[in-house]
Amino acid sequence: MSIFSSLPFAHALVARQDLPIPAWLFAWGASIVLIVSFFALSAAWRKPRFERENWRSIGAGLSRGLVSRPTQIVCGLLGVFLLGVAIYAGLRGTEAPDRNFALTFLFVTTWLGFPIFSALLGDIFRPVNPWRAIGRTAGAGFKAIAGQGPAHLEYPRRLGRWPAAIGLLAMVWLEVVYGSSGGVAVGLDPHAAAVAALVYSFYTLAMMALFGVEKWCERGEVFSVYFGMFSRLGYFGVHDGRLGRRRPLSAATSWATIPGSAAVVIASIGSTSFDGAQEGAFKSAIQQVFEWLSDAGFGLTTSLRLTDTIFMALCFGGVGLVYLLGVRGMRTVRGAPSLDRLRVGFAHTLIPIALAYLVAHYFSLFVFQEQAQFTYLLSDPLGTASTDLFGTASGGIDFGILSSTAIWYIQVGALVVGHVLGLTLAHDRALVYWPDYRQASRSQYWMLAVMVAFTCFGLYLLSAGNG
Amino acid sequence: MNARTMRLVAGAIVIVVAIVLLIVLKNDGGESTATDAGKAPTIVVNAAGKPVGGIADLTYKEGDQINFKVKSAVADEIHVHGYDLMKDVKAGGTVAFDFPASLEGVFEAELEGRKEQIIQLTVEP
Repeated sequence: MSIFSSLPFAHALVARQDLPIPAWLFAWGASIVLIVSFFALSAAWRKPRFERENWRSIGAGLSRGLVSRPTQIVCGLLGVFLLGVAIYAGLRGTEAPDRNFALTFLFVTTWLGFPIFSALLGDIFRPVNPWRAIGRTAGAGFKAIAGQGPAHLEYPRRLGRWPAAIGLLAMVWLEVVYGSSGGVAVGLDPHAAAVAALVYSFYTLAMMALFGVEKWCERGEVFSVYFGMFSRLGYFGVHDGRLGRRRPLSAATSWATIPGSAAVVIASIGSTSFDGAQEGAFKSAIQQVFEWLSDAGFGLTTSLRLTDTIFMALCFGGVGLVYLLGVRGMRTVRGAPSLDRLRVGFAHTLIPIALAYLVAHYFSLFVFQEQAQFTYLLSDPLGTASTDLFGTASGGIDFGILSSTAIWYIQVGALVVGHVLGLTLAHDRALVYWPDYRQASRSQYWMLAVMVAFTCFGLYLLSAGNG
Repeated sequence: MNARTMRLVAGAIVIVVAIVLLIVLKNDGGESTATDAGKAPTIVVNAAGKPVGGIADLTYKEGDQINFKVKSAVADEIHVHGYDLMKDVKAGGTVAFDFPASLEGVFEAELEGRKEQIIQLTVEP
């Protein structure tokens, strides 16, 4: 049906989409996952290993240089400058999504780049966070004039990270639902993205003024919370203003203690699932609902957005439900802590799964689009063909850089590694809750089922491809 | 049933499931689906600027020669993404594309002015 030509967001940017993984690779991936899981149950350690970060400072000089005030100022300025460029390009540049700096910078370089690099290195977004930089400067200015720091409202404890979870869903909604509507190639034009960035900036700065910069960054600011979640897997961390190394994964164990954290990681897995499923696994179901709604008298654009919204909500709900079922199951094991404690206690074990989903679905988009980012989008940010700042305006994307086979192995590899890391964290946490090793092991049948479900669903999404 | 037997049974189930999965899926997706090599299909675009019969699916193996025609009732520019080939077509005119399948992946061809996808081009390794 040609009327149903909704094109997912990525299509507007990248001209090459991934081939679905072949059936034999799906089978191998799924088999490896099952076998690995089986071994994880029987041959594992008996004392928790990741509960302590084992933090060691790196050399004092290096540490001081990297987290000193001048470095913070330079990083903050860089963040504010780049956000400014993106907003300016969005407002003043070309409407062609693939030629405008704004969309690629906001949705690919930042939105996909930070999770990947944070997961390896640690919280690299924090120093360049433009809103944090502006908020801190404003706070310092206030203090200089008024002689004391600004008074903030008490942040409601129960609210926790819920604002960030909702913001995350809104961000993805803007990108993949609003951005793919209308039967045209892309609904989200650079102008709309720039306006969204401006609205978000005002909202964030207002919230920082109300609740305080650091408090809001830790709980409400979508990008800080989302990138910060992945950074907990990373190798470097800052303690008391000093940079140090820590045991990878270990910082994740304390991440979910703030209420609403589970919703953040579930929102991440759910929205990536939706984006992967909308053009493959769910395509015909989405089309069906779309036709019902348009037959019922809704306009085409409204029907499409409504349909996509319903399916995105279903993905979020489905992922959440699978997790809660696993938690419920664990509750049945003798000596189990309360349901609330379990729900919070195992949320961080989904972080590697969320990362694996991201890599599996967006890795090739990232590699292709970053070539554009660092060639023509950098030299000609407005896309008007009138500037060539670095002499790379005529550059292009080499789609030959990744073969389909390479992409397939990276996708399946990411899911398998994410699965193993998730199991590792879950087993480790179970040893904390069940001092009796055998009970801990038994509780993990449930988390194992959850992880197998997510990983196999991820594989299935990849194999259903563009269907 | 004690824990040891349970573990053995669970292991056996896992292995059986894995093997069955492997066999079923292997047979399922074994043969090649590159069906369009050597043919030169014609995609017809109607007066509303839509492809007749929906978006055409064309599948090739890498190294094949991709060969198709577009007959269009409307004037527009046809753009094969990824390969970045562009040709103008007049109202009522026909243009032919003929190029080697050198890039793997899934690509779109569209009427550039109308942003209407007419072909989904798949190149398998």
